[in-house]
Amino acid sequence: MQGKRTVFPNKVLPYLLLLPQLAVTIVFFLWPAAQAFWSSFQREDAFGFKTTFVWFANYTKLFADPVYLNSFRTTVIFSLAVSLLSLGIALLLAVAATRMLRSSRIYSTLIVWPYAVAPAIAGILWWFLFNPSIGIIAYVLRRFGIDWNHLVDPNDAMILVVIAATWKQISYNFLFFMAGLQSIPHSLEEAAAIDGAGPTKRFWTIIFPLLSPTTFYLMVINVVYAMFDTFGVIHATTEGGPARATEILVYKVYFDGFVGLNLGSSAAQSVILMAIVIGLTVVQFRWVERRVQY
Amino acid sequence: MATIELIDLKKNYGAIPAVKGVDLSVADGEFIVLVGPSGCGKSTLLRMVAGLESVTSGRIEIGGRDVVKAEPAERDIAMVFQNYALYPHMTVRKNLEYGLRNRRVKNEEITRRVQEAAAMLEIGPMLDRKPRELSGGQRQRVAMGRALVREPAAFLFDEPLSNLDAKLRVQMRVEIRRLQRRLKTTSLYVTHDQLEAMTLADRLVVMNGGLVEQVGTPVEVYERPATVFVAGFIGSPPMNLIDLDYLRAQSAGTDLALPNGTDLVGIRPDDMVLIGPVEPSIALKATVELLEPVGGESHLHIRLAGSNQLAIVRVPGRPSFVEGSEISVFARIGDLHPYNRASGNRTD
Repeated sequence: MQGKRTVFPNKVLPYLLLLPQLAVTIVFFLWPAAQAFWSSFQREDAFGFKTTFVWFANYTKLFADPVYLNSFRTTVIFSLAVSLLSLGIALLLAVAATRMLRSSRIYSTLIVWPYAVAPAIAGILWWFLFNPSIGIIAYVLRRFGIDWNHLVDPNDAMILVVIAATWKQISYNFLFFMAGLQSIPHSLEEAAAIDGAGPTKRFWTIIFPLLSPTTFYLMVINVVYAMFDTFGVIHATTEGGPARATEILVYKVYFDGFVGLNLGSSAAQSVILMAIVIGLTVVQFRWVERRVQY
Repeated sequence: MATIELIDLKKNYGAIPAVKGVDLSVADGEFIVLVGPSGCGKSTLLRMVAGLESVTSGRIEIGGRDVVKAEPAERDIAMVFQNYALYPHMTVRKNLEYGLRNRRVKNEEITRRVQEAAAMLEIGPMLDRKPRELSGGQRQRVAMGRALVREPAAFLFDEPLSNLDAKLRVQMRVEIRRLQRRLKTTSLYVTHDQLEAMTLADRLVVMNGGLVEQVGTPVEVYERPATVFVAGFIGSPPMNLIDLDYLRAQSAGTDLALPNGTDLVGIRPDDMVLIGPVEPSIALKATVELLEPVGGESHLHIRLAGSNQLAIVRVPGRPSFVEGSEISVFARIGDLHPYNRASGNRTD
């Protein structure tokens, strides 16, 4: 940050001004994080009578556990599917909306609405639509000969959570793509049209490359969203099932800790997740925000 | 190499007419400048020729082919935009090649044309840079280069110099003229700058309110402005327009030899002199309001005696006049431009 550096005459005052923010960060982030870090090296019995320091036992056990590794795989599939789908659909909608002259505002407003819906509600909404006994979409699918049942079929369950999570994220991506598209001067597209490029070619050779800073940024944000903010969606629809088919890492932290009461393992898992978030944040700052695309 | 024909070309935006019926024939190799105040429809007209705006009615023919329904790419034209519209994520070379690659021109041919254009515009050393690494003048050259490599039937220029500083503008103006003379490519050039218009054009098209006011060579337009609008628009400082009744009253006994229907007389600031000429002339008394030195000459702002009419006289050098002093100015009868106020047209 450039800008004027303010010199405080009083040495204590700046720290005093920072104190409220620091207090919040310490109480709600650093302290629990430190506690999680500490408990990840411990084993505690289910009743909380006795804790033993076990060094890295929780971690080694995790990485030897096929269930945990499977959860990793599920998370990768889930977050990639959600990110790519929501990015793709949002880009399509944004391009379509910018083509509209008068109705563009109305469409934008409507498309942004799902963003205001809480994750759990989004989950329930899709759960109802796809419900094998009462859901309208499940009913229609059955008409087409597809026997939809996300309560039994792992693939159906994964598709359901991906749809619910994607639907909610499209709005956010759409807004950013709209802004990105609007910042590309119209004359570039006109110049390309005169240069003999058709609409599709114009999009892929001019518009899409110029959107790449937006796309990179959204990619990181979407992966973070899919990995960490979709707990509500999954909890309200599949609860990680059937047979852990939709149990992403965050859901497993909750399940092992609060349902299975294996606090040590749960803490170790959250420390691993913390490392992933830190990694993604570094990517975000290093490559996405500093990188000038053109 | 092609002619361009515009036949009763009209453009409406909803109910608002922007171009109200323009006829124009551009000969092969001719450099036509469309000039007029902002909002006169000149850019819309150019964009219609380019195919970037739909045509409400009328016809556009490029090289004898009706192109009203054709896509911009099918019209064989190249355009230079006001903001250059260079593709920011491509190097200069890629920018130049883009239009050729889309048209599947052979590789050797692309290399040859890019090198030729780069040499012509002296942008060779910049070929591997991105547009953001170039100065305004260099970007302008690249934009020109992108049009050149296409070897199109016609160049369209949409105020290409208005984003440059004054010195570069003069330099690029000369360069554009030189290139066009050499390539002999039919060109349509839009500007609101009359100096650009006068110096570049083979023929000028003066537009106002969606209509063509006058078409002619710069000299024709300057010497015989067809309408009151053109008289006031072309020439700097603009022509003085004085009521005929006032002139008659001031120069009683002199035969002004003006045609019937004249009620407004135009006199160029250059045609007003401070010393009575030998030829038949009119004399006007006036008060000096302001003296504006502009270098080699000065503009003398005067108020004609017994009226509120202001006028400008161009005087050589830097004379000294006391503001508020009484002077006489003269104009030869032969230098008067007669107009009719109601129709706006010239009467001779």
